[in-house]
Amino acid sequence: MSEETVAVSDSADTEINAAIQKKIGWGFWLAISWVIFITLLAILAPYLHLKDPRGYFIDIDGNGRPPYGPSFEHWFGTDKDARDIFSRSLHGARISLIVGFSAITFGFLVGGTLGIIAGYFRGWLDKIISFCFIILLSFPSLVLAIMLTALLNRSLFTISMILGVLSIAPVGRLARASTLQFSDREFVLAARQIGASDSRIILRELLPNVVIPMSALALLGMAVAIVAEGGLAFLGLSVSQGITWGSLIQIGSDSATTLENAPWIAFFPILLLFLTVLSLNFAGDRLRSHLDVKESSL
Amino acid sequence: MKFWMQRVAMAILLLLSVSALTFGAMNVLGDPLFNILGPLAGDVNNPKSAALIEEVKAKYDLDKPLPVRYVKWLGDFATGDMGVQFSTDGQPPVSGLIKERVPRTITLLIMAQLLAVMISIPWAAITAARAGKRSDKISTMNSFFLLAMPNFALAILLKYIFSLKLGWFPLTYKAIDPLFQQLRQMFLAAVTIALPAAAVYQRLLRTDLITTLQQDFILMARAKGLSRSRVIFRHAIRPSMFSFITVVGLNTGGLIGGSIVVETVFRIPGIGSSLVESVLREDFPVVLAIVMLIALTFVIINVLVDILYSIIDPRVRR
Repeated sequence: MSEETVAVSDSADTEINAAIQKKIGWGFWLAISWVIFITLLAILAPYLHLKDPRGYFIDIDGNGRPPYGPSFEHWFGTDKDARDIFSRSLHGARISLIVGFSAITFGFLVGGTLGIIAGYFRGWLDKIISFCFIILLSFPSLVLAIMLTALLNRSLFTISMILGVLSIAPVGRLARASTLQFSDREFVLAARQIGASDSRIILRELLPNVVIPMSALALLGMAVAIVAEGGLAFLGLSVSQGITWGSLIQIGSDSATTLENAPWIAFFPILLLFLTVLSLNFAGDRLRSHLDVKESSL
Repeated sequence: MKFWMQRVAMAILLLLSVSALTFGAMNVLGDPLFNILGPLAGDVNNPKSAALIEEVKAKYDLDKPLPVRYVKWLGDFATGDMGVQFSTDGQPPVSGLIKERVPRTITLLIMAQLLAVMISIPWAAITAARAGKRSDKISTMNSFFLLAMPNFALAILLKYIFSLKLGWFPLTYKAIDPLFQQLRQMFLAAVTIALPAAAVYQRLLRTDLITTLQQDFILMARAKGLSRSRVIFRHAIRPSMFSFITVVGLNTGGLIGGSIVVETVFRIPGIGSSLVESVLREDFPVVLAIVMLIALTFVIINVLVDILYSIIDPRVRR
């Protein structure tokens, strides 16, 4: 029975892996659709004729004292100042997504460049760059982010940059590892033999091979950055005065009575955040097994 | 022997770089003088405040160059003197605050780590035994959901369900309560940290268990007539624990980051919530001491795990 179970489960497992590698599956496209959908909503939020996210919709005669529960008038309900949660959640998506996107873009530009340089030239340059990565990884990322937000002003730009700095090391390490792997391959040697310059080899030969497998990391990294921004905002340390998912959740949960009597204030932003992070993680994971990036090279 | 020397030298270099970076960032990007005096710090033309500025500069060594201050600060830090809190007129000193709060965070993290291990081992065993079947797929989906839930959101959900609706756990943490009571107050916070960690450990252990279950000695054990659960728990678990132990060790440092948010949600006065408070109050020495302490712990844990790993598996030493 046992060897049967083991054997069967083993073949089933490889079958699943093979199936994943063959086609990427509808789950990936569903996840990507949600990301595109929420991004579009965030971009178009000012033009959708939503309620004013900073407006107070107090309606003592009809509804009594706020907070009001979800209704036809307020789809996600209102907070205790009678501000519309639906509108605020969509507007909140703007900062969360902008920060997530710019952070990972910055991480890829800087970390990717450093990683490829370290992996291609090796030697002392590699030692210095790798040591910088190790130093960056020596702080739990949220601690480093909190320290930097404490010191800098909390604008959209600085928050994006701070989270971008945090993504340098993980991106850079992967870029370095795959560059090391590819720079010994025949096509790189061939390019060098016919006299291609270093910059040409890096840009034309290595970059496409290194970057494409890393696209999965971009999705996963964006999820991490969005969660980190949410955490900072939740602690009151993200973009000052900005509406973001994290700050909306904080408003909905700062006192036990608010959370108990009006859970929708925190739960709807949590739902959007959760779905977005889930989609990015899922799409990234599927893409990774599709492109077959080995776990060990991370 | 050369291997150990290299490891220790690397660790010391890393500790120095991390501390220099933290100290430098705090002093270059921030303005310690402003943190002590507030708006008065910019008022150099007024002779009265100018005198005060000079006095404070001398008292906190702000008139000396940065490297000198760093060395002095490092010496003080190593001997347990972490300076004074700006926001409370110096009482209690930072080291006193840390001494009061560190045990709570350590208790929380140990509890979380124990829970995570206790959840993940049976979870991995069950899913590995049924790899590829429906229950395994549902479990994979579950861990995806868990890992997509940011820890502050998970904390709020647990607090809502178990504290507010079911009333199983108290809402507030009281430092004067007896130990058992305190553990109960910390339980939900520990669960919040433990669940995503358990999902990570489970994934890893499951993969390794599946590999082990294909070995001949497992077949042998089954042929002897041992039951499936006995084979898994007695024979398969131990040789599969290798990377599990490493990751659990390395992750201890990572959990410190998670405790910041979770302590804030559950109002546990530990080191993490203290960091957030001191950042919001712009209390420099406290932020510096806590960031340094966390980073140093992180580095030391990583080095220890690294050394432990090479003891278990000498191939790493090359």
